[in-house]
Amino acid sequence: MKRGNAIAITAVVCVIFAVFFIYPAGMVVKQAFEGTRTDGSHHFTLEFFAAVFRNPIYQEGLWNAFALGIISTLTTLAIAFPLALVSHRYDFFGKPALGVLVLAPMILPPFVGAVGVKQMLGVNGALNALLIDLGLMSAALPYDWLANGRFAGIVLMNALHLYPILYMNIAAALANLDPAMEQAAENLGCPPWKRFLRITLPLAMPGVFAGSSIVFIWSFTELGVPLVFDYSRVAPVQIFDGLKSLDKNPIPYALTAVLLITAAAVFALSKLVMGRAPLGTAPRPKGRANSLQLTGWKNAACSMLFITVFAIASIPHLGVVLLSLAGRWYGTVIPDSLTMQHYIEALGNGLVVPSIQNSLLYAGCATMIALTIGLGVAWVVVRSDLKTRAWLDTLVMMPLAVPGLVMAFGYLALSQEGKAFHFLVGAGGSPFMLIVIAYAIRRLPYIVRSAVAGLQQSNPMLEEAAKSLGATPARTLRRIAIPLIGANLAAGSILAFAFAMLEVSDSLILAQQEQHYPITKAIYTLLSTLGNGTELAAALGVWAMVFLSVAIMGAAVLGGKRGGLFKV
Amino acid sequence: MRRRAWMIFGLLALIVALPMVLRRETATTRAGNADDTLVILTPHNESIRKEFGEAFATYRKKTTGRSIHIDWRTPGGTSEIRMVLDAGFKAAAETGRDGIGVDLFFGGGEPDFAGQAKKGRLLPLDVFKSSPELFAEGGPIPQTFTGERYFPDDHLWVGTCMSQFGICYNPQVLERLKIPAPTAWNDLGDPRYAGTLALADPTKSGSVARTFELLLQGEIQRAIAKPGAHREQAIAAGWSSGLQLIQRMAANSRYFTDSASKIPHDVGQGNSAAGMCIDFYGRSYASELTTKNGKPRVVWIAPTGGTTLSADPIGVLKGAPNEKLAQEFVSYTLSPAAQIMWFGKPGTPNGPKERALHRTPIRRDTYTPKILAESTLPTISPYQDSGNFTYQRELTGSAFNTLRQLVKVMCIDSHEEMKSAWLAIREAHMPPEALAVFSDVSLIPYEKVGKGDPILDGNDALKAAEHAARIGEWFRSNYRKAEAIARSKTSTATHR
Repeated sequence: MKRGNAIAITAVVCVIFAVFFIYPAGMVVKQAFEGTRTDGSHHFTLEFFAAVFRNPIYQEGLWNAFALGIISTLTTLAIAFPLALVSHRYDFFGKPALGVLVLAPMILPPFVGAVGVKQMLGVNGALNALLIDLGLMSAALPYDWLANGRFAGIVLMNALHLYPILYMNIAAALANLDPAMEQAAENLGCPPWKRFLRITLPLAMPGVFAGSSIVFIWSFTELGVPLVFDYSRVAPVQIFDGLKSLDKNPIPYALTAVLLITAAAVFALSKLVMGRAPLGTAPRPKGRANSLQLTGWKNAACSMLFITVFAIASIPHLGVVLLSLAGRWYGTVIPDSLTMQHYIEALGNGLVVPSIQNSLLYAGCATMIALTIGLGVAWVVVRSDLKTRAWLDTLVMMPLAVPGLVMAFGYLALSQEGKAFHFLVGAGGSPFMLIVIAYAIRRLPYIVRSAVAGLQQSNPMLEEAAKSLGATPARTLRRIAIPLIGANLAAGSILAFAFAMLEVSDSLILAQQEQHYPITKAIYTLLSTLGNGTELAAALGVWAMVFLSVAIMGAAVLGGKRGGLFKV
Repeated sequence: MRRRAWMIFGLLALIVALPMVLRRETATTRAGNADDTLVILTPHNESIRKEFGEAFATYRKKTTGRSIHIDWRTPGGTSEIRMVLDAGFKAAAETGRDGIGVDLFFGGGEPDFAGQAKKGRLLPLDVFKSSPELFAEGGPIPQTFTGERYFPDDHLWVGTCMSQFGICYNPQVLERLKIPAPTAWNDLGDPRYAGTLALADPTKSGSVARTFELLLQGEIQRAIAKPGAHREQAIAAGWSSGLQLIQRMAANSRYFTDSASKIPHDVGQGNSAAGMCIDFYGRSYASELTTKNGKPRVVWIAPTGGTTLSADPIGVLKGAPNEKLAQEFVSYTLSPAAQIMWFGKPGTPNGPKERALHRTPIRRDTYTPKILAESTLPTISPYQDSGNFTYQRELTGSAFNTLRQLVKVMCIDSHEEMKSAWLAIREAHMPPEALAVFSDVSLIPYEKVGKGDPILDGNDALKAAEHAARIGEWFRSNYRKAEAIARSKTSTATHR
């Protein structure tokens, strides 16, 4: 890649990030560095920062968050890698359907997801009802699953929610592998385990790194799951509580800064250790890996593995679905009575149709923008030799680690009349531009990671060949590079789109007028209906879940060749 | 391939078409088509917004012939609203504008409105001039009741209905835990509740913070009322026993939440035994949720001697773009028809159309037998029966901010150590030595912080944070000690 182009892309991305990420987030976080003199004027200070480290409660919160991040990532890997590998190596009963089905758990609607978990796992929930019915538990002494073993519970819930991210990235990495490498090892008498450790795993490393860096930052800064388990001594919950507190104390902002720096440091370090492309000049696979058709119990075992993971990961979803259909659901395995009334009431609400339109527009445009910027960033990171590229790569990961409320209020403050971002507010107060940019910046990491992984695995010689034959850079990109990493881009875009559709903070704070609400805010609004608010919110949540599932499966069926989204 | 594509697009179209087919029509006009627009910032729930929106639109159409679009702004609860107001007015001040494009602030607690009034963000209300009889001595709206203010002297806001924090509990769960039904805050300190109580978070909501102040003041008032009590000593003793009650309740609790509906929902599902809950959520869940045999799953009570009826106010924001209309809306909410809306049965004249709101109107003259008969609260008479408790601001009012911070460091920040100690003490059958260490509040006596702690309440955020951290560490070390004592008791008991 020409140095000039790389510098130009870096400059453009840095400007975009400086304006739309560092400026709004910094506006809010800077309070952590502002001391107040007795006369009311401000001065720079690191005292609040130091105060965070002097307070044992915050220290513990940071350690707990860090431990949750690391252990959740390892657990997620333990679920995702076997799935991806089995799916890559073997053909088994129901594989095309199961391969898409295991992606479903990442689509859990906001707000009601937590209620769904409680309906299933609460003291008076479905699981205990089942155990009591089976005579395995005394009705007088139901076990409190959520209060006991919280740490393990949070890790498990994180892993079961986030494994699709890793699965998609690893599947894409494996799809890019040259089967000749594995075949060569096999022919030379390498036993399967050694072949996995010495050949497959190192070659798939870009995908593993892409997925696990996202999963780590996500679970390190996760707020919702610890809240379900009432676990408050963890940094993200401490920040959330502090931000919403009546006191104007800057400590939560200092804690946010610590969280950001830690996330950046872990990302940069682990990139040094495991993020390098193992074979920069691997030839493009000439053949396609022929997966082995399994028979008998092995076939059944593979199918069962997928079905089991899907079933366990879908427990919260099942909770939400049953809730949306429940007439009464109290201390029983399934509701006493089922009704469609909540659907008729929820979907009939005047908010819903415009919110669907809005969400599709917001999330669709945001994904397109993120795809354009993300591809540019990935290009610089992988194909250029700029010294600054590692910094650029770390920078674009940071939106994942900033608390949603911080970003949302940064945008809100700057979009007031007379402020820098006011030009983004459209006629009649439309937040379209604001929300699209906010979504795009926050979802950019998914695209960048997938694209980087893809580029690391594809051979630059093919692009060089195209150029030497007279193709322009744009044409090379369009005809050679992008098709080669299509699987990775598809994986990244699906994640970006789905998570943009389910975004909470920006949606709640920036979409102020009803006609601009996205689906998440419509769900939030329904939730506050007296009486059956939870059920109404669950009904719209299920609608969103079904819509996204069909959209993703559609993408898988249409986008993939030979029945797999992640095959190129 | 093409057939597959059509199938998928067909399926997606079907999913999108479903809400289009089910869509219902409403009386409020969509944005852009209305003669007038009113922008209201509110934490009120969807049911209240919908019923009041529709009713005011119909009323305006009838009296003036003009259509109205109500632009409800709902960024979340009162803490998000406070952040939105702060961001908006800060920008407005910097750019020399008067307002933030919002007309009304509708719903919240007295502390929220008093705070905004203090910052000069509210305009005097016309209704005090146009209908002075409403606020006259002995008139329909008293200035204070149960010690709570219903409108301030400067007329910057006025209560439109009342609310009361109380206890909601699940009778079946209490039966399982073998605990009698609670009647006062003190009952929630019973160790049998350990791990099953749901509490509201006083650090995020002024009204919840006030509730904690009230339950503490209840203890003080009871101490003072004891025959022969020395007032100063009784206040000091009551303060300490109030803090200890808060400790016990916190030790029993699963969480502190800022979501108003989470507590009655968890109680109604049987995942919590009891909780601190605002009246109308409690009543609404009580009327909706029953067991298979028709028994209630949620019972809401006003604890005796420790809760007041506070105002749920409305105010016009400075620089309101449609000030005249905003003032009209305020007057409308105090009209007899709108007052009936708060507790009328759905479908009755002036009652809500779809859903009962289960709230208590502020106007005294709404509580007539005829109106009550058509309401969802036929037996209620708040102005007669106030639980014989009156809030005395002079006792604890100046410690309002301090108390909230004390609860934070003593209970919320230290919740892990606290719960663990409490369970150990319970297991050891409540040994007095351990209990004494657990409930030691001698670091924060009334003499020292009862009128507000100058450091915690002061302007130096850093000093306040460090001071709070020190207090927290003191309590945590006590909890750890208490746990160790209790565990040593348990082990000696087993060894015997």
